[in-house]
Amino acid sequence: MSLSRSPSPVPGGGWASPGLTNNLSPSGRSSPTKAYAGSNGTPVMWERQKNMGGAAYQSFSTQNQGFFSRHMRRISSSLPRFKADNTHGAEREKIGHGRWNMPRLGRIRGITGRMSRRTKMLLAFGLLFLLGYIIFYSTPLVYYYRRTSWLGGGQKFVIILAANVGGGVMEWKGAREWAIERDSIRNKKKYVAKWGYDLEIVDMSTKKRYAHEWRESWEKVDFIRSTLRKYPKAEWVWWLDLNTFIMEPSKSLQDHIFDHIEDVTYRDINEYNPLNISHPPADPYLDELSKSPIGDGNPNSIHLMLSQDCSGFNLGSFFMRRGTWTDHLLDVWWDPVAYEQKHMEWEHKEQDALEQLYTAQPWIRKSTAFLPQRMINSFPTGACSEKGNDPRIHYDQKDRDFLVNMAGCEWGRDCWGEMYNFRELSYHLNRSLWERFKEDLLCWIWFKLTGKKVKF
Amino acid sequence: MHFAYPPRKSSNPPPFRPRTSALPTIRGKRLKTIVLTGLAFLTLLWLFQRGGRSRHAPPAYHKPSGNPPVVIVTVFNEGKYGKGYMDMVKENRLKYAEKHGYGTFFVKSSDYDLHGAPVSWATLPAVRHAMTKFPDASYIWYLDQNAFIMNPLLKIEEHVMKPSRLEELMIKDHPVVPPDSIIKTFSHLKGHDVDFVLTQDKDGLSSSSFVVKNGEWAKFFLETWFDPIYRTYNFQKAEQHALEHIVQWHPTILAKLALVPQRILNSYSKEKGGQEYKEGDLAVRLYACGEAGEDTCETESQRFAQWKAAYQDS
Repeated sequence: MSLSRSPSPVPGGGWASPGLTNNLSPSGRSSPTKAYAGSNGTPVMWERQKNMGGAAYQSFSTQNQGFFSRHMRRISSSLPRFKADNTHGAEREKIGHGRWNMPRLGRIRGITGRMSRRTKMLLAFGLLFLLGYIIFYSTPLVYYYRRTSWLGGGQKFVIILAANVGGGVMEWKGAREWAIERDSIRNKKKYVAKWGYDLEIVDMSTKKRYAHEWRESWEKVDFIRSTLRKYPKAEWVWWLDLNTFIMEPSKSLQDHIFDHIEDVTYRDINEYNPLNISHPPADPYLDELSKSPIGDGNPNSIHLMLSQDCSGFNLGSFFMRRGTWTDHLLDVWWDPVAYEQKHMEWEHKEQDALEQLYTAQPWIRKSTAFLPQRMINSFPTGACSEKGNDPRIHYDQKDRDFLVNMAGCEWGRDCWGEMYNFRELSYHLNRSLWERFKEDLLCWIWFKLTGKKVKF
Repeated sequence: MHFAYPPRKSSNPPPFRPRTSALPTIRGKRLKTIVLTGLAFLTLLWLFQRGGRSRHAPPAYHKPSGNPPVVIVTVFNEGKYGKGYMDMVKENRLKYAEKHGYGTFFVKSSDYDLHGAPVSWATLPAVRHAMTKFPDASYIWYLDQNAFIMNPLLKIEEHVMKPSRLEELMIKDHPVVPPDSIIKTFSHLKGHDVDFVLTQDKDGLSSSSFVVKNGEWAKFFLETWFDPIYRTYNFQKAEQHALEHIVQWHPTILAKLALVPQRILNSYSKEKGGQEYKEGDLAVRLYACGEAGEDTCETESQRFAQWKAAYQDS
């Protein structure tokens, strides 16, 4: 240590305070000398010396008295160092001097240097745990981690979202329609990113397909087929219409349905039969399995899960599983002979076609299961409301229904209004703790104090 | 404690304490390692279990055991023919089935409610019914009422349905509906993937003699073919045209279909309709018998009465 204080031509270095000087001098005197040379040349007399009548020493060690004397070494080591060789500016900072030159890191190094091994290990584990939590639960990395088959199996599920309905061909696609589409897509994207599923957004613009057939709405069948091909790892495909909103994104599909399929689905349509389909099929030439009202009762043979609304099957939100049965269904679903005879009658197109297939062909019943409507397809009040609010059909906030399907909103209702309201309701119901704290406590307190409503 | 000197030890060190138990004690660091490893292992188990919970076994549909190997289905149109004739047809089937251990299934077309459609549609529920009645049969052979099994030495499961035989017999890349359908039969179909074997005659697909393999596909196929929507469409040739339609429009049906040369299963009595019967063919169908300008079926059947002789030798 060549210079521990700034050089000054005044003898004694210009430092007037006695305690800073000779205690550290190499002469190593451990007791105070008789007199100190002050800056003005006169010996500096301490008060106590005066009181003691001139006796200039004490009988006990004064070496470690005073804040600075005790912590001198530590403080001085963290202060910036200056060398006699006058290297300028930037180069100075770059020279490492063989030590950590940054004050902050030096501080941390100082703190950790004084910790015991155990504390260091605990701190390391704590930080690692926090890092792991942040990486695996809060960031977009959850997508990759939840996709794997041994940690959730998200890659088995693909959501097909029907977007761009009509495509502006038959009616104008204005700001509202764009907004609805944006909200719906955003909602599904967030859900998929959270749980590791795949999202396939398909274009449902009106197209004229073949020379003599106008097959709009049957594109569902083609899209499901191409999606099963595009995602080879997918087992289940979930078709969603555009006017749907996932109200409870914190529920994964596995928790909601797939981990306990047998508990939530029912195969016997007689439980809820708005179409009055006679079930089980009674033809005498059918085998036992076809005549059984619940098929083989095995959840693994379920390849189609859908719900029924007040007027029949509802294909706004349904699941299909990859399999031979599905290949067969997707193949025979559309048939030109059927189309030619029935397309004037079938208002809901592929939905009615499926109802006809279900009624006429027993092999379809063997792998079809139904879900209670409010499980995947709640309706807003307005749809299916001829008989008022039906607890089977309509969205109930108390029960926190999973998905709301604003079916038929383009006929007579306000699609955008409904979408906006459900979106805000979903955000409100799924506020994080911090938001709840702010809104329910702080805003409330503010309101009580000032009578004004604020939003933080 | 800070002593100037370490505390005094006695000159007689304490006696070495023997082990309290015979088992080795785990202590300190080793114990910690073991506990941590155990916890890690349990965590891994839990993780794997979480993902593996959804592993389900696929549904196991009943696989036919092959007893009897073939069931011959014949649908009798009672109103049209005399009892003598029908008994002869029945005998023809029964003798053949007895020789090879096959089953037979005889029904009347009036047994099934066709909702006013032509009686030839009764073929379909009859075959479906045979599959219900004989769940263990491997193959179902439907043979028209006006047809006779001529060569009892030939066995269906070898002469027709054996995978290697099918691969040699199959007509590949041929328009399914003659003369010029753009839908052609598959060229790379494997014999064991074939679930439906039939023949073409001069006009189209012939549904008077065909074989289906008993299984889930066959149920799907027959139920699709029997959809009331095809009956209400009033095809000109009833279920035959409906078959031609679904075979061309639905590839999942075409994928399991094999066309074989007509004389393998379905020789015709006259060259007018298709390939004519030659000695040694399995079966002959009395083409267009009883129709306007043709002999009645009873008369036609006399021409092929030699089938009876084949059974007298054995």
